[in-house]
Amino acid sequence: MIRFENVTKTYKGGTVALREVSLDIEKGDFVFLVGPSGSGKTTCIRLLLREEVADAGRIWVAGRDIGALSHWRIPYLRRNIGCVFQDFRLLPNKSVFENVAFALEVIGRPKHVIASQVPQVLDLVGLGRKRDNLPHELSGGEQQRVAVARAFVNRPLILLADEPTGNLDPATSQGIVRLLDRINRTGTTVIVATHDAGIVDQMRRRVIELDHGNLVRDQARGVYGYGT
Amino acid sequence: MPVSLDYVTRETASNLWRNRLMTIAAVLTVAVSLSLVGTALLLRQGVAHATTKWQHGVNVLVFLEPVNPPLAALDANVKPSSPGQGQALQQQLAIQQQLTTLPYVRTCLYRDQQYDFSEAQHLLPADESQALTVESTPASLRCVLQDPREAQAIYMQFHGRPGVSAVSYPSQAVKNMEQVTHILQWVFFGLALILLLSAAVLILNTIRLAIFARRREVSVMKVVGATNWFIRIPFMFEGLVQGVLGALVAALVVIGLHWLLDRLAHGSSLLYQMRLSTGEVFVTNFWVVLVGLLVGTLGSAFAIRRFLDA
Repeated sequence: MIRFENVTKTYKGGTVALREVSLDIEKGDFVFLVGPSGSGKTTCIRLLLREEVADAGRIWVAGRDIGALSHWRIPYLRRNIGCVFQDFRLLPNKSVFENVAFALEVIGRPKHVIASQVPQVLDLVGLGRKRDNLPHELSGGEQQRVAVARAFVNRPLILLADEPTGNLDPATSQGIVRLLDRINRTGTTVIVATHDAGIVDQMRRRVIELDHGNLVRDQARGVYGYGT
Repeated sequence: MPVSLDYVTRETASNLWRNRLMTIAAVLTVAVSLSLVGTALLLRQGVAHATTKWQHGVNVLVFLEPVNPPLAALDANVKPSSPGQGQALQQQLAIQQQLTTLPYVRTCLYRDQQYDFSEAQHLLPADESQALTVESTPASLRCVLQDPREAQAIYMQFHGRPGVSAVSYPSQAVKNMEQVTHILQWVFFGLALILLLSAAVLILNTIRLAIFARRREVSVMKVVGATNWFIRIPFMFEGLVQGVLGALVAALVVIGLHWLLDRLAHGSSLLYQMRLSTGEVFVTNFWVVLVGLLVGTLGSAFAIRRFLDA
């Protein structure tokens, strides 16, 4: 599903974000991308979304070399990738339902599709009864659930989460990770970039560790730190 | 890529409403500048009408005695239908011959009685033109001179000659009018250009504000895979609507001006000669709206290029 081949990314000013990183992620995998701030996790996600282009190496997503993608095809790549952020990025003047519907509306999905898909995904994330609330009326965990619903409503092949629990307390974080796990069971490939040791240790899934842009560990059923 | 009309209308309307003060400023600036453009265009056409006899650099008109029945052409090969017509033809040919051989005459164009009749129909007020017939309208020789000041010499030479009904050359008043309107036109166009530029900048700025106000939405749209055009079109439309709204106000001003001149025309022969047809006003307004559309589109296109990273 995703393959990095000797990917190097250097930002202006000479900061090396990724150095010769190669990795393979199969369809249906659940992967934690771990490492301290500045280790290159977010760069990986930005590269997958084609918000950045690798300086060297190739990135394949669903059989496509995304570095070679022409500009106008990028939106279609992104329709296959759902994305969740630390800061939720909900639209404050839209209700829960409208926030999720917005993602379908702006890719031109017809109204009847929106009317059937959005309630379904809201039930999946457990917010069916709060569909008419505004984001500021929800707790942090609930807001992140809305964000997950928005990322998943289009049934993407891949779900990326960049520090999804960064603003949440441990109990709420566990709920979000369980939700991501449930989405993973539908066959969606899930990649979670995090430095939240608690959720990584709890899940015992594949862990890829980055440090200063180098891939230092790729462990099938790992924990956050070394030692186990 | 289906960008629904419903979506674009909704987004454009809400953008315009959110920035309503800026929108009003932009629309009014477009309206004022395009009113100037429209007025200059009307003026230009009006003066062209009033001075139609003097178009193409004609400096002197020699009117020939009307012939009944009128001559088909001023040509030695024309077969006269009566002895009287034959005589008139010979006389007029001789006048043409003399005119064109004068050293300071560059060219002389013959306009027959039918042409002059149609022209007079337009130039003269209704009560005067009604009394006119093709048979009673003189044909004319319209001459371009090396030096316009020689017009008086031609007047002295041909005025009162048999076969010549009148010689006329533009009065100082006509020359003044042409000069003044010429200057006025360029002043109007210059002012309009400056105002159009500021209108484009105002539109650019409203779109920039709109983009800034919606930056969260835009970032979400990009992440979920909205196409670039889907993101751009509502902003594009916003500028376009502002330009066209301004142009429509200007078009109303042009129509009002035309109506006013038409009302005043009956009291003044000059205004009467300057009056324009509905068709001409329509064409003028077509240009006004087109320029408005262009200014709006350019303003928003520039804002999108510069400030919308999509």
